[in-house]
Amino acid sequence: MDMKLTLEHVTKDFSGTLAVNDISLTMQDGKLTGLLGPSGCGKSTLLYMIAGLEQVTSGHIYFDGQDVTTLPAETRGVGLVFQNYALYPHMTVEQNIMFPLLNARVKKESAQKKAREMARFVQIEEYMHRKPAQLSGGQQQRVAIARALVKSPQILLLDEPLSNLDARLRLDLREEIRRIQKETGVTTIFVTHDQEEAMSITDELVLMKNGIIQQIAAPQAMYRYPQSRFVASFLGNPPISFFNMVAENGLVELSPNLKLKFPISLSGPVVLGIRPEGWALGSGIVVEFLSVSVRGREQYVSFMLHGQKAYAILDTENAVKPGDRLSLALKPYCVHLFDPENGLRLGKGDAHYVE
Amino acid sequence: MSSKRQRTLRPHRNGAAAWLYLLPSLVVITVFLIYPLFKVLRMGFYQKYVFITDTGSGFGLDALAYVLSDPVYHRALSNTCFITFVGVPITVALALGIAVMIDSIPRFKGIFQNLYFLPYVTTVYAVGTVFKWLFHSDYGYINFFFKFLGLEPQAWMTDPNLVTLSVTIFTIWNGLALKIILFLAGLQKVDKQYYQAARIDGTSRRRVFFRITLPLLSPTIWMVSMISFIHAFKTYSAVVAMFDKEAAGPGNSAITVVFYIYNMFFKKGQVHYAAAAAIVFLVIIITMTALQKIVAKKFTYYG
Amino acid sequence: MNLQTSALRMGRFMTTVKYILLILGAFIVFFPFLWMLTTSLKTVGESISIPPTLLPEKLQWENFQNAWNMAPFPRYFGNTILIAVVGTLLTVTITIFAAYAFTVFRFRGKSLLFMVYLSTMMIPTELLLIQNYVTVTKLGLIDTYVGIILPTLASGFYTFMLREYFMQVPSSLYKAAKMDGCSNWRYLWKVMVPINRNAIATVTILCFITQWNAFVWPLMVTTSDEHRVLATGLMYFNLSASSAVNLQMAATTIVVAPMVVFYCVFRRQIVSGIARGGIKG
Repeated sequence: MDMKLTLEHVTKDFSGTLAVNDISLTMQDGKLTGLLGPSGCGKSTLLYMIAGLEQVTSGHIYFDGQDVTTLPAETRGVGLVFQNYALYPHMTVEQNIMFPLLNARVKKESAQKKAREMARFVQIEEYMHRKPAQLSGGQQQRVAIARALVKSPQILLLDEPLSNLDARLRLDLREEIRRIQKETGVTTIFVTHDQEEAMSITDELVLMKNGIIQQIAAPQAMYRYPQSRFVASFLGNPPISFFNMVAENGLVELSPNLKLKFPISLSGPVVLGIRPEGWALGSGIVVEFLSVSVRGREQYVSFMLHGQKAYAILDTENAVKPGDRLSLALKPYCVHLFDPENGLRLGKGDAHYVE
Repeated sequence: MSSKRQRTLRPHRNGAAAWLYLLPSLVVITVFLIYPLFKVLRMGFYQKYVFITDTGSGFGLDALAYVLSDPVYHRALSNTCFITFVGVPITVALALGIAVMIDSIPRFKGIFQNLYFLPYVTTVYAVGTVFKWLFHSDYGYINFFFKFLGLEPQAWMTDPNLVTLSVTIFTIWNGLALKIILFLAGLQKVDKQYYQAARIDGTSRRRVFFRITLPLLSPTIWMVSMISFIHAFKTYSAVVAMFDKEAAGPGNSAITVVFYIYNMFFKKGQVHYAAAAAIVFLVIIITMTALQKIVAKKFTYYG
Repeated sequence: MNLQTSALRMGRFMTTVKYILLILGAFIVFFPFLWMLTTSLKTVGESISIPPTLLPEKLQWENFQNAWNMAPFPRYFGNTILIAVVGTLLTVTITIFAAYAFTVFRFRGKSLLFMVYLSTMMIPTELLLIQNYVTVTKLGLIDTYVGIILPTLASGFYTFMLREYFMQVPSSLYKAAKMDGCSNWRYLWKVMVPINRNAIATVTILCFITQWNAFVWPLMVTTSDEHRVLATGLMYFNLSASSAVNLQMAATTIVVAPMVVFYCVFRRQIVSGIARGGIKG
């Protein structure tokens, strides 16, 4: 069932605005790819172009090497799950799931049989004769997934499928989507603006901004080695803090006790990004806490560092309060260096301490 | 890369299919609504027109001048204006009163609604026949009630000065049902919280009606009035039902504008005069519609 | 007596006044129907007696039989049913197509064309009948069913009304249907129409009333009893039975009765349809 999806210079021009700007990429077959980005970044437009609901302005889309750029949506054999479920309100669950099969002129008995199998697969078989309005949001989305999968699509597209659900259901269904994708092995694209959601279930992440791909990587690799300031700031909560510093031959001095050497030989102004989880109580730099907010298993603190506000996540072993002056240590792998001009990452790999 | 950019596709369109779905209604609308509109507009300016061959010649204002100076047309206009500008305000006021009363009574709302709505579904012609006999000067019930009340019986159907009044009375009766339905619908949309608030404030019933109900209902009143004005201006079937399609009462005394147009066309065969009369009629209707749009913006309160 | 009880009494008094006025009004509204019914059961003498008598001494049921036999009423009935049913079905179908085209499709000139459809609502049909008579004559359709039905089929008003409902169906359903491999034709009949069945039923009922009660146009284009409808047939009947009020009223009752029954059955839809749509086109 898995299939290779290739985009070649795909562009979408909405009367002057480039929603998708010259995107080329190959999605891994049989994998779950996350399409991540802030709202309006073009990720949904890209998804709809793959589905065939939006026509591309220029460029080509290939399914297993076959050019489908001009094929209408109904003939592409793609399954799509919508944010608002888009179930047919006048049909029962069973009729909803059967609908794609009946459109393809499958005999009613075998369509019914397949619909039942699919309903069992997504665990909604007990609701077969209910109308969508009688189901919870999570159940409706399961029906929508069953409807998208029942015709054995070559590709499964999910357009923010969890956004309309409450937090608890979102967690459940996110695991469920992971399971379904694993078991069917269908090439899946999952669009979301929620970085946590994207990081937790995808095999690969594509991060977009203003119609342009910022970085393609496995989720953890993207978090660990962000290619740009934007990527670094988009992933992670609370977000990464940035500091304008000066590097000397790849060396940045935060305090006499805290000097970091980056794997690049460079002198001049740089932007230093420090993830909040990189800090811990220990010898390094003395700071005064401005605010403290305790969150059960950890506490968030803020302080001023080199004239800019910084955040840190500390464990709760030692209680701290605003006004405390304490010394913080820094984990070098949580620190990244960016070009202040174009925001791109400076240097591959991690930094390390220098005495 | 640039060679690929040149191949720009148009946005997703499914136009061809759309035109197929539109085709049936488009054909009917074009042939029986749009084409005749322009044709009639042209017809009214012919100097000569032959119906059989549907050919006309010349261009001038002769037909228009004839119609505008025709005393029968003047009569038709004044009758129509009477039906419209005397009849409609009365109907609207009555309908509003009835609707407000039905809306405010505690029980039997449904029964009254059903009774008052009934005339809506009946053919104007059939009920008009009934009224023709109710208005009969000798054995009609209306004169019977007049005598009962000590009033002088009237020659409703034969006195040229009264026939238009008779038609107007019938149109008032006939128009009530629709307007009551519309007013009741409007009243149901008025938020009942306003009434509760007013009651808590100790506002009197009369004040509630004039200060709350009426202003909140004003868009509905305006809409209903304008629909009714335009509708009343088209009065024809009522006249045919109470009199005859050949002649509107004694000496055509109950003639209306539309009656005049059809009479000119079918009875007298003067197609271009009929068309010219129709053009005047259209101008009046359009003016009324435009007036409605303009005044509606200024006058009514939108809650 | 304190203020509260006096206000209460005033309220009760007002309610009583309202009931009296409403009953009086209902009587006036209903009286013509009542008179029609009783007169249809009178003898000729009773129907023109001075002073008038409301109730007949003996119910003359044979008036109905006589009236029924004096004119080809079965024919009128058949014609009216045929014209109203076929006219309604065609109008509703055509209207569904047009409203659908204006809902899910994108094409050049869409909004302009929709404006044209809207503005046809403002054209008084009275104005058009002259030319339509000429057109129908030219097409050789005078005194035919097609000639009676055809010009009434397209309605800007119903198109507008249905489109309002169609537009409320979320566009994601259309997209979902496309992904489900559904054609436009199937989407119309399997999704759009079933979801809007209430609105379509309302339009159908309103359209049926209009078609059934049509008078002016059928009067113009029919020249023989063969294609006459009830309303126009009644007119010719009245001309031939000009002095027999009782027979005229029997015939009028025959014409009015079906719509009264129709009203009793579909009252809810009729009233809500009018209330929602404002007025029939």
